[in-house]
Amino acid sequence: MKSLQIAATGMAAQQLRVDVISNNIANMSTAAYRPRVAEFSDLMYQQYLTPGTITSQVGTVVPAGIQIGTGVRPSTVSMQIIQGSLKETGSDLDLGIDGAGFLEVTLPSGESAYTRDGKLNRSAEGEMVTMDGYPLADGITIPTDAKSISISRDGEVVAYFDDQPAGQAIGSIQLVRFVNEKGLEAMGDNLFRETAASGTPTQVVAGTEGSGFIRQGYLEESGVDVVKEISDLIEAQRGYELNSKVITASDEMLAATTRLR
Amino acid sequence: MSNAIYATLARQQGLMQEMQVVSNNLANSSTTGYKTDKAIFAEYLVASGPGELSLSMGALAGHSFEMEQGGLNVTGGQFDLAVQGDGFFSVETPQGTRLTRAGHFQLSSEGTLIDTIGNNVLGAGGGPINIPPEARQVSISGDGTISVDGEQLEQIGIVTADGTLMRDSNTYFSAPGGFRNATDFSVVQGALEQSNVSPVLEVARMIEVQRAYEAGQTLLEREDQRIGQLISTVRER
Repeated sequence: MKSLQIAATGMAAQQLRVDVISNNIANMSTAAYRPRVAEFSDLMYQQYLTPGTITSQVGTVVPAGIQIGTGVRPSTVSMQIIQGSLKETGSDLDLGIDGAGFLEVTLPSGESAYTRDGKLNRSAEGEMVTMDGYPLADGITIPTDAKSISISRDGEVVAYFDDQPAGQAIGSIQLVRFVNEKGLEAMGDNLFRETAASGTPTQVVAGTEGSGFIRQGYLEESGVDVVKEISDLIEAQRGYELNSKVITASDEMLAATTRLR
Repeated sequence: MSNAIYATLARQQGLMQEMQVVSNNLANSSTTGYKTDKAIFAEYLVASGPGELSLSMGALAGHSFEMEQGGLNVTGGQFDLAVQGDGFFSVETPQGTRLTRAGHFQLSSEGTLIDTIGNNVLGAGGGPINIPPEARQVSISGDGTISVDGEQLEQIGIVTADGTLMRDSNTYFSAPGGFRNATDFSVVQGALEQSNVSPVLEVARMIEVQRAYEAGQTLLEREDQRIGQLISTVRER
C-alpha cells in the first residue's frame, strides 16, 4: 500500500512548511530579517509502462505509459531577497542599507561574517561594533572627544569636535556584495557566512556596482509580511489534513482487504 | 476458477494503483509547477479457453497530465518566474535537457541562472544565462527577454514538446520526441506557478476509489460464500 507512504511524505512536507512559517512569524520584528520560503518538488516516478513502448509490428506505440509518483520532498528553503522598510530611529550609529549589500563584521575567531542589521554601538575603545560586540571589518574607531559623527550615503564617516568647525574623516564603511545572496549560510544573530554557492564577497563603495546606499539614522525592518504568512499557514494546515485523510482512506481499504480472511 | 473473482481482482489492483496516483497528487498540492496526474483505465479481453466466452478485465492503461494553468503565487522574487499559457522552461541536466514549469531560479556563485538543484536554465539560444554581478535591476518581460539595468541581455528559452511528455522527479518532464520554441506564452516575473491539483476533485476521487474498493471486497466475499455453499450442497447429496 504505497499510498500510505506517499501521504506520509506529503504530511512531512506540510510540517516543514509550518516550521518555516512559524520561524518567519517569530522573526517579524527582527531587524533586516529576510523571510524564508519552503519549496517542494515531486519524487521519482515508478515506470510501469514506458511511454513509447512498441505495441505492434506496424509500429504503434504506447502514448502515455504508466508512471506512478512516489510523493514529495522539500527541494529548498530559500531566503527571499526583499528590501525591508527603513525605519527612522534618529540614532547616529544606526545604519540602514537601501538596496543590495551587507556590512562585514569580524568574528572573535578572525573569520568574516556579513549582516544587514546596522544597529551599531561604540565599544569601550570607541570602535564601531555590532550589538554582539563584533567589530566592523572596516575598523573604524571614533575618537573619545568626538561630539557627533556623520556617515554619508556612500559610507564616509566624519567625526565632529567641539573645538574645530570642520569635521575630520575617520574612515569609510564599505559594503559587501555576493553574486548569489540566497547561497549565504545563516549563522543566527542576523549574521551570514560565505559559502561555495554564494560566491566570493566583493567589497564595493556604497551606491556603486549595484549596491545600495547607506542611510544613517535608519534601521531596516523585518521583511516578513504577516498576512501572507498567515494565509500560507492556513494552506499548510489544510494540506496536512488532506494528506491525513489519504492515510485514513488507505487504512480503511487495507481493513477491507483483511476482512477477506 | 470463478471468472467473477478474476475480474474483481484485476479491478482491485487497478484501484490500489489509482489510490497511489490520488495520494501523489495530494502530497504534491503545494509543489510549484506540479501537474495533476490522471489514471486511465482500459478494458482488455482474456479468452478463458478455446471455444469459450472471453472475459473482459479492466486495467490501468495509461496516464494523462492535467496541463491546466496553475494559479500564480506572487512572491516578488527577482528570479521567481512563471509561464502563463503553453510552454516550459528548459533546464540542462546531466541526463539531457528537461522541461519544467517550476520557475524558482537563482544565481550560482558565478552568476549563472540555475534552478533549485543547481542545473543551468537555458536561454532561447540553448546556452546558459549569465547575469553580470553588478546588476542592480534585472527585469524579465512577457516574451522572456532579460534586461539588466535597462540593457537587453538575452532571452529565456520557453519550449513546447513535440511528442508526449514523460515525468521525471523534481517537477521535470522529459520530451523523448524533442521540443521546439513555444510561441503562445507569457513569462511573469515575481510569481511562481502553484500546483494545479484541485483538492476537492482529488478527495472526491479518493472517496470513490475507496468505496469502489470496498464494494469489490464485498463482491469477493459473497462470491466466496456462494462457492462455499455450492460445495456444501453438493457434498450433502
